[in-house]
Amino acid sequence: MKQVYICHDTITGIFSAIYDAWKENRDGDSGIALRGVIIPQLFCEYIEVEETVQKSVAVERLIKKNLGYNAYWDLYHALLSDDCERADAVYHTMLEARKVKDSKKIMEHLSNPHVAKVFELSRKVANEAHFFTEFIRFRELENGVMLSEITPKGQVLTCIADHFTNRFPLEHWMVYDKTHRVFLVHQAKKNWVLVQGEILDTEAAGRISETEEEFAELWKGFCKSISIEERENLNLQRNHLPIRFRQNMTEF
Amino acid sequence: MAEIIQEQMGIYDKLQILSDAAKYDVACTSSGVDRQGDGTGMGNCQKAGICHSFSADGRCISLLKILFTNECIYDCKYCVNRSSNDVVRTSFTPDEICTLTMEFYRRNYIEGLFLSSGILKSPNYTMELIYAALYKLRHECNFQGYIHVKAIPGAAQELIQRVGFLADRMSVNLELPTAESLRLLAPHKNRKNILAPMRLVQQKMEDNKQEIVLYKNAPRFVPAGQSTQMIIGATPETDYQILSVAESLYKKFELKRVFYSAFVAVNEDSALPARTGEGPPLLREHRLYQADWLLRFYRFEAGELLNEKSPNFNIFLDPKCDWALKHLEYFPVEVNRADYNTLLRVPGIGCKSASRIVKARRMGTLQFEDLKKMGVVLKRALYFLTCNGKMMYRTKIEEDYIMRNLLNTKEKLPDSVLGMTFKQLSLFDDMTPGQAILR
Repeated sequence: MKQVYICHDTITGIFSAIYDAWKENRDGDSGIALRGVIIPQLFCEYIEVEETVQKSVAVERLIKKNLGYNAYWDLYHALLSDDCERADAVYHTMLEARKVKDSKKIMEHLSNPHVAKVFELSRKVANEAHFFTEFIRFRELENGVMLSEITPKGQVLTCIADHFTNRFPLEHWMVYDKTHRVFLVHQAKKNWVLVQGEILDTEAAGRISETEEEFAELWKGFCKSISIEERENLNLQRNHLPIRFRQNMTEF
Repeated sequence: MAEIIQEQMGIYDKLQILSDAAKYDVACTSSGVDRQGDGTGMGNCQKAGICHSFSADGRCISLLKILFTNECIYDCKYCVNRSSNDVVRTSFTPDEICTLTMEFYRRNYIEGLFLSSGILKSPNYTMELIYAALYKLRHECNFQGYIHVKAIPGAAQELIQRVGFLADRMSVNLELPTAESLRLLAPHKNRKNILAPMRLVQQKMEDNKQEIVLYKNAPRFVPAGQSTQMIIGATPETDYQILSVAESLYKKFELKRVFYSAFVAVNEDSALPARTGEGPPLLREHRLYQADWLLRFYRFEAGELLNEKSPNFNIFLDPKCDWALKHLEYFPVEVNRADYNTLLRVPGIGCKSASRIVKARRMGTLQFEDLKKMGVVLKRALYFLTCNGKMMYRTKIEEDYIMRNLLNTKEKLPDSVLGMTFKQLSLFDDMTPGQAILR
């Protein structure tokens, strides 16, 4: 009977499930499902996974060692997407890698549907992350902290963290992912951290600094005056800057 | 000369005026240099460049594009800031430029600064001001983001050199494709003055390369290279002339980019084309960019795409298809044997798909289905290709036949051109009579 391992929708959860499935059942019929989004099937046995950091670290090491850093990058990014079958796709990609001659080249086997899926998801997340390096807007709060709120589809915070850390090393800044309720926090001259399980204090987040309004107005004015009226083309603008990003942008 | 100079103007109004005056500059790219921040200031650069927003005309906003001043001693006919125009004049101070750049950058609005300027008093005086602003920005504010700056033609060499060490990209505007047009429309500028700083920047970049080999930490001179732009459609040059100019700029001055700017009528002047109500010649600009790509990445030469006899681009076909149709003697090409350069010339095959083909055919013979997966646009390529000696369908290798079929498949024009109406296309009708019916 097919064994399905059930886990929480986190990297630790999914890696723990992969750990168990890999250990007990890698030669049998097995799969991974996320809690809350599964549709129970007949002739399946569902197994609850005990989620631990140790399991997660072990799987990370296993992937890096056997499939290489590049494949790990793809698998990890695929897990950050919002697709409900991502855990299963990653697990089966790992299983497939055992069969190919050079496991490090697993991501080139795009004819395998699971590998193709991982490839697609990882590209999607990386592309979305790139959009956010472009479209994130910070506002200065009363206490000098730069705050940004975004509503991404995938969990892109870790993908953009290094970029902004390198860019604003001397600033206190914070990005809040409203979809997944996660903070990316950067303290001046330190490295970034992810903070989960906290809620944004909307009242404090609304207290902007004295000059903030002025710069926002300057920027809005600039965006208008830089456009050439004779060439106006809102379709083209929408192609480059999809509407869904605009809700958190100063100039819209 | 009616001129209003207002001393007490707020920064909001200044930004409005000086960005409005800068908007006709095309280049807003922030690409060409990779630089990590060193942790002591603010900013870094990415090789591919980053766009931060898009304005209502669909162009990207990557840099804070402003003029230092819109006061100008020159009277270029096409320019909104020419000295004979009665417009509100104002200037930024170096401090204001630094504040705007730093505060916008901090909020992730922009990728850096694009600083151009009208000519205040003299080229040297203006260049000094620009230098002062950039120096402050780089050394006092410790800004490590992207800076694109205009070299003012006629400014002292030494000044241009000093500015070059602060900027990432420098550009000198060619303004108009030929020296004759320049004389007509920009009486105070001349070709020699424009090319001199271009040559200087080129030589300095070459020297700088040597220095960097010797001393790893030597300061970089214009690391993202130089670019230029010219106005299309204000003067009667043909596409062939324009493309030849671009080609020689790439070859002789090693420019990174040549930008083409469809002429937007802002002034009434007897030397300029009359306002027609048809808007800027966007399709022509688009064709020039397509051809520009063919020069830079597809190893074409200007003389192959156009010549004295047919000096303008076909409005119905992109330059590559047009070339292929006129040179059917080279086709069809066998996918499994043709070399990379030959593949590049097939309509529907791009740089990426050509190199994929070359790699993939080592593993086995390719079929048409494989080509599709590699990103070849078969609806265009099928007339020019064979796989194992067979064409995809039974087709004639005949200009009229292929032309008819290619036109049926409809070129996917970008939205920047699609906004046009049939009326605008009819501008070119007299050049290719009868073809309008095909559409």
